[in-house]
Parts: sequence; structure tokens; C-alpha cells
Amino acid sequence: MIHYHPSIEILTDYAAGSLPLAHSLCVSTHLERCHECQQQIRKLEMLGSHLFDQTKTDSRQLSNLKDSFFEKLNAQAEQNNSLKVEEEPTAIDWDNYAIPKSLRQFIKKNYDDLNWMRLSPSFKIATLYNEEGGAQIALTRVKAGAHMPTHTHTGDEITLVLEGAFSDESGVYRQGDFINRDASHKHKPIVTKDAECICLTVLDAPIEFTGWLTRLLNPIIRRYHPHSS
Amino acid sequence: MERAIQIEPDEQRVADMLAIAEHRDQAALVRLFDHYVPKVRAFCLAAQPGANLMADDIAQEVMIRIWNKAHTYKPESASLNTWVFTLARNARIDYLRKNSRHQSDIDPEYLWQNVVDENADPFKDAQQKRDQERIQQGLDKLPADQKQVLAKVYLEGKTHKEAAEELSLPLGTIKSRVRLALHKLTIYVKR
Repeated sequence: MIHYHPSIEILTDYAAGSLPLAHSLCVSTHLERCHECQQQIRKLEMLGSHLFDQTKTDSRQLSNLKDSFFEKLNAQAEQNNSLKVEEEPTAIDWDNYAIPKSLRQFIKKNYDDLNWMRLSPSFKIATLYNEEGGAQIALTRVKAGAHMPTHTHTGDEITLVLEGAFSDESGVYRQGDFINRDASHKHKPIVTKDAECICLTVLDAPIEFTGWLTRLLNPIIRRYHPHSS
Repeated sequence: MERAIQIEPDEQRVADMLAIAEHRDQAALVRLFDHYVPKVRAFCLAAQPGANLMADDIAQEVMIRIWNKAHTYKPESASLNTWVFTLARNARIDYLRKNSRHQSDIDPEYLWQNVVDENADPFKDAQQKRDQERIQQGLDKLPADQKQVLAKVYLEGKTHKEAAEELSLPLGTIKSRVRLALHKLTIYVKR
């Protein structure tokens, strides 16, 4: 059962297509597991289609555009007479984790193939993509029962639980939960004892560790964030 | 009323989709071109006023997708207008990501793939129509300020934050206008 969902603002921006792509990636991954939000998106897209339908069109002559379009279409039809629709195989890694569809552009086969960087004996991070001048998209992987170092966010952070569960002062987060934290938030998550926890995170700015020892990690974290260059 | 006459062309267009899917009917595509291309162009120009070349490119891309994906359109799960709106939205995102200052490698194709609704039920069609009607009628009655914000978000492609900056209003005001509007349209029920 999913308890934490994207806010209605985030869902609206997503349905409208105005949400940044990195954030949309998290919403999309959440939607794969959340029937409730799927229904919400369905209605929000309906609203979009009515607004779309009501846009004022200009009276521009489109016959040239039309001619060139149909020329292109016919050329395309000659080139490839059969349109291949490739069905992607379901990616299931050997720990039996099903990779969400939205992440398969970054994770072809399994989580283990990623370039994991070990930050502590129980905590690893793998960068999926650094947006130019934008957000960092990464996976974090924490061993069962382990603490994540206490940290604050220097920008907004979205976390989506892919596997396992973790908790902090405000609650317990399980598979599919969508957690949106802003810069003021300082927390110390603990992974539940039964299984490791893999999360998708999108950081608008690097996180900052606040523990006395883990503070040493901050320069490394910053170096891997796209805003640092 | 105008709405009563609109039903027929809608049905014609759904039939056109079927004709494209089943026997690659170009005459049907011409009819859809005439109807949708001006709308897609207007949708693009709302986000980037004056960018006619971009609008032409995206409109053509949408028509290609209609042609290539006609067989994936399921009238029972979405109206044709909604389906085309999502195509236009995705094509616009894709165009902007490839041509903007901040290029991104995140492929939107992976993000807005139609989520298969496993809980299909026999009343879905009726539910679908009811939702459509409620939204359509509610939209006509919305106060101008709420409608303006919805247009910023949906047509101009602005986030809530950007809409707030542009209208010189606090973010909270924008949020509450959108929430009020969604509430009236019975899209948003507080959980």
C-alpha cells in the first residue's frame, strides 16, 4: 500500500508537461505502482485536452505544410514498408528486482551493473544521469538495518522507494512511496531490518552530510553533482 | 446548442483513426490533419509565441505519430482529443529538450508511456464520459483568474513556480487557484 504521493501541484505539472524531466522521471516511476495517481493523471490529462481543444487557432494557410507533410509520409512509407514495434523484454535482475519501465533507459539489465560508488560500508550511490545545469538523478542502495548518514538538503530532493523500506522521524516509507523534501529538511533515515533499500533520488543541489565524520564526504558528493562544474 | 452538433465530427474522427489503423487510409489522415494541426500549432505558439517553424515541426511530428500509432489508440480508455493532447504534449517536450539551452538525455518516450489500466471495468466508458462532461461544463464556469492559471500551466508549459513569477503573485496564490479549479472540476479530491 502506497502512503506517500506526489502533491497535486506536481501531478498537474506532470500531466501538463511542464514539470522538469528529472522530476517527471520520479512521478512516472511512482505511477507504475500507484493506481490512485494514475486515475488522477487520467483526469488531469482530460482537463488538458479540453484546454487544448479551446486554444484559439490562427487563420494561417496550411496547404504548404500539408503538401510537404504528405510528401514526407509517402517517402517514409516507401523506405520502411514494415513498421517494427519492438516489445522490450521485461528487465528482471537476478535479485528478482523488476526494473521500472521508466528507468530502463538508464538500467538495461540489473541494478548490479551500475557504477556504484561506495560511500560507507553500508551505503552506495550510483549516478544515472546529470542534467546539464540541472538535477542529479541517482540510485542509493543501503544495507538492511543500516543508518544513512544524517544530512540536510541544499536544494529540493525527491526520493522514490524502489525496493525495501526506510524510516525517519516523520514516517515509514515503502515501495512506491514518493517523498519530496525541501532545503530546510534535515533527517537521518534508517533502513528496515528485513531487506536492503534501493531508492531513486533526484537532487536539485547536492545533499550535505552533517555528522562530524561523514562531513568529510561532502567534497566528494559535491564533485559528482552537475552544479559543481 | 453548439455541443450537440459537435458529437458527430468526434465520432467521425474516431472512425478515421480506425480506418488509418486498419487500412492505412490517407484520406482519413487528411481530415485529422485539417482538424488537429491548427490546434497543435496554437498549443505550441502559446508556449513560444512567434515560433512558427517550431510549431510546424511539432505539428508534423504529431501527425506522424498519429499515423504510426493509430493501432495503439483505444477509444474505451481515452477520448481522441485526450490522446492527441498527450501526443502534442510529449512532442513539445521532446522538441524543447533537443533544441533548448539545457539539453537533456532523459527520453520522454519512457516517461509518459500509456500506463495499462489493469482495473478495467465495464462502467469505465460511462465513467469516462461523465468525467469528460463534468470537466467541460465546469471549465466554462470557472472564474477568469483560475482559468488563466490553468492556461499558463497547460498551454504555456509553465510550472506553478514560473506562473507565480510571471503573474507577480505569491506561489501560494497560484497553488490555491489551481486547487480550487481542480476541486470545482471534481478532478481533485483531498485525500
